[in-house]
Amino acid sequence: MAKLRLDKLKPLVALGIFFVVWWIVPPVVKSFFKVSFTEFQAPAWVVTSYLEDLQGFWARRSHSKIELIEAGRELARKKAYYQYVAQRNESLEAEVDRLEAILNMPGRREFRYEVARVVRRDLSAWWQQIVIRKGRDHNIPEGAAVIFSGGVVGRVVEVNAFTSRIELVTSPNFRMAATFEIDGRPVIYQGVIQRGFGRATGSVNDAPQDIVANSQAPLKLVSTNLGGTFPPGLMIGTVSWLEPGSTGIFQAGDVTLDERLLSLHEVSVLIPLNPIELDTDVP
Amino acid sequence: MFLDPRIIIMFGANALLLYLSLLVNSALSSWSLYLILLGPMLVLPAIFLRHRSYMLCTLFTGLWVDAALPCQFGLLTLGFLTAGAFIFQIRFRFRAEHNYHPIMLSHACNFFCIALITLATAFHQFGVSAFWIQVLVTSLLSHALLTIIAPWFFDLQRLLFELFGLDPEPEDFPIL
Repeated sequence: MAKLRLDKLKPLVALGIFFVVWWIVPPVVKSFFKVSFTEFQAPAWVVTSYLEDLQGFWARRSHSKIELIEAGRELARKKAYYQYVAQRNESLEAEVDRLEAILNMPGRREFRYEVARVVRRDLSAWWQQIVIRKGRDHNIPEGAAVIFSGGVVGRVVEVNAFTSRIELVTSPNFRMAATFEIDGRPVIYQGVIQRGFGRATGSVNDAPQDIVANSQAPLKLVSTNLGGTFPPGLMIGTVSWLEPGSTGIFQAGDVTLDERLLSLHEVSVLIPLNPIELDTDVP
Repeated sequence: MFLDPRIIIMFGANALLLYLSLLVNSALSSWSLYLILLGPMLVLPAIFLRHRSYMLCTLFTGLWVDAALPCQFGLLTLGFLTAGAFIFQIRFRFRAEHNYHPIMLSHACNFFCIALITLATAFHQFGVSAFWIQVLVTSLLSHALLTIIAPWFFDLQRLLFELFGLDPEPEDFPIL
């Protein structure tokens, strides 16, 4: 009878021992390893991002003076327009504050905007996340809302020393309270699995029966302050078709999101000036 | 020597491959395309090194990949060690001095990684057809690119062994 060679089983025995050790090791040790390895990798991504910025800088340096003068003129025009819009915004805000005071309405949440460069995009069937170049060094809190010029981007899910990870609005793990621009009643927005080569999409549920959407005049889906994370009125996407949902009571439909969401370069993190304290502010 | 110095080169090459694949993924995001190129990271350590060195190299590679990807921490570490243990067990059957067997193994390991990630992170999406289409597209694209990437990756590792004056052959030659 052939002698059983126990040394041949060494890899499997070592694997078994590692599995047992991994399961009994306290979560704090695993967390330590995760943070250590993540922080160790972060500089490479931050440097890559700065190199991209440098690349952009040199690309712009190659433009002719005429082109730069044209761009400066265009910028001056836009600046003048935005100065006018800012003035009008100030007067409208004052009016809103006055009306809110008359009606004794509760104060709205105020935010500080932290603009950050996108370092990396991880958009796959399994996850829909991006990494930005700011973290605890800029007081980015976990759970903060993230927006861009086209509207809602997502929510901060992980904060590291110099980077933060954001769950995108396209992710099936992302869910938020929303409302149609023409109607104040709340609906639920949720991300869905993205189709390759297609536009970014999401889904809307619990829409009231009397709301009608059509492709000629799609309904705008915007954020509401019900969730507490996002300020109201931020664009999420457009809905061009609604049909009865699985319950038959409410309607559901697809939301067409901004196509720039899949190739973001810069976003803003909304940091609440007066964060909600779970111990004191929640009844 | 207590540990094989080649683990530094293998780990470095694995980190480089991951970094490059994530850079490409970042650039491909606007087309909703993604690449999983994890298979080649497992092959040479399991075929070339003695058990202690292989274990350490694969463990560190797994932790490195786990920290970089947004999946549950430890998933790919355990997956890498499992796949690596099976390759290590039968490594005498493979010709490591040529690329044919390592490439075949890297395809198998890559498929294992894709299946593992799918099972662990998207169990609630199994009923969605769009999810399976995305997984299929990702798998096909990844394996198509792997036919180019894997030989380059193995040759790069062998070249680095030679440049640093290390042994470019496996610890144990296969039984012919």
